[in-house]
Amino acid sequence: MKVKLWGTRGSVPSPGPETIRYGGNTSCVGVTLSDGSLLALDAGTGIRNLGLSLPDEPSRLHLLLTHLHLDHIQGLVFFAPCFRPQTEIVIWGPASPEASLRDRIARYISAPLSPVEVRELPCDVSFRSTPESEWEIGPARIRAASVSHRGPTLGYRIDDGDRSLAYIPDHEPALGADLEKLEDEWISGFGLAEGASLLIHDGQYADAEYPNHLGWGHSSLSHALSFARRTGVDRTVLFHHDPLHSDAQLDQLGEEARERWAAAGGDPGAIELGVEGAELDLRAATPEPSPVPAV
Amino acid sequence: MPTSTQKPLELILARNLMSALSTPAFLVDEGGLLVFYNEAAGMLLGKPWEELGTVGAQEWGALFGPFDDGGEPIPYDDLPLVKAVRDDRPAHAEFEIRSTDGAGHRVEVSAFPIQTPHGSRGAIAVFWPATDGASPNGASA
Repeated sequence: MKVKLWGTRGSVPSPGPETIRYGGNTSCVGVTLSDGSLLALDAGTGIRNLGLSLPDEPSRLHLLLTHLHLDHIQGLVFFAPCFRPQTEIVIWGPASPEASLRDRIARYISAPLSPVEVRELPCDVSFRSTPESEWEIGPARIRAASVSHRGPTLGYRIDDGDRSLAYIPDHEPALGADLEKLEDEWISGFGLAEGASLLIHDGQYADAEYPNHLGWGHSSLSHALSFARRTGVDRTVLFHHDPLHSDAQLDQLGEEARERWAAAGGDPGAIELGVEGAELDLRAATPEPSPVPAV
Repeated sequence: MPTSTQKPLELILARNLMSALSTPAFLVDEGGLLVFYNEAAGMLLGKPWEELGTVGAQEWGALFGPFDDGGEPIPYDDLPLVKAVRDDRPAHAEFEIRSTDGAGHRVEVSAFPIQTPHGSRGAIAVFWPATDGASPNGASA
């Protein structure tokens, strides 16, 4: 399984000279499975470049949406495969009692917000609410579960052979809870991330910023590190960077993360901040489980 | 794949909310198993949740009641929490429960199911002293 980060920013695109290294595109991750098939996780503005990287030939791809906030779907109408009649796209997302997934996405892909309507997309597109139980896409087993954020929001786990990816980009597991004291089963997202080879997780706020954003649906650095430690993942990528965080600030945050992880007994190389364009080969990256901090 | 049994998010969030309330509140899962009560409920019962742990409704009844006006145990199927889980409807009742020190407490109980896009996940019950003007943690309103 290979992973490429096409958009690491949260909330709103933030291009500019101050964000050029970590990137300004919003959430999108490409996952190439062991049989070569492709999954896209979320459709923030990063998916535009993912689409441009794909060959113009008949294909089928699955897009797994965590939720429908704009920073996770904004790139959809700029995703080149949507405009290729020979492409089949299956879009998965959270169920809602209010309206179908198609109808909810159509609120964005419709006038006056969009120049095209869903029914006008040339590709063969279908919409599916994620099932409660695990399902298969190619060689991978996929599992979705609701996680703590604002509005119906999913996290995903993708198991392909003995490698696993947990993707929880928007997550506030510590809302009203002490992650250090809760039993495993009472931690939001625990079952998705437990023992994963790679965890891509919300790390939007520095600890000092979190009190002013309580309940906004995102994690502080401390919360993200606690979650990673509790779930015993091999490697963690902090993701969904705050749009106000410059490259210099993210460098500092990453350094603090590594120092704290190491101070707690973990491998500092097992914690990193997501960088737009970064490629992670799970086969090569984690031949041995990394030490997980004891405290 | 992971081995832990993850609680549904709706129960996790309900527990987090209940933990911050001074109103005695109880949480059961979709099978009717009592999976949490908060600190205020623990004060009412005389036993904090951490000391009790997960119990079935039958066992709960033996420990704390409840009892009707004649002092007889109220049948399991008539408890508001059980009705809420079983019938997927809110339920309300007034009865007496007994704390670990043997003291009786007359309470009003409202229970409602926790529904999700995938069906009911359990129920929450809120207890309130059945004394006019009393607040759930004993002070006069």
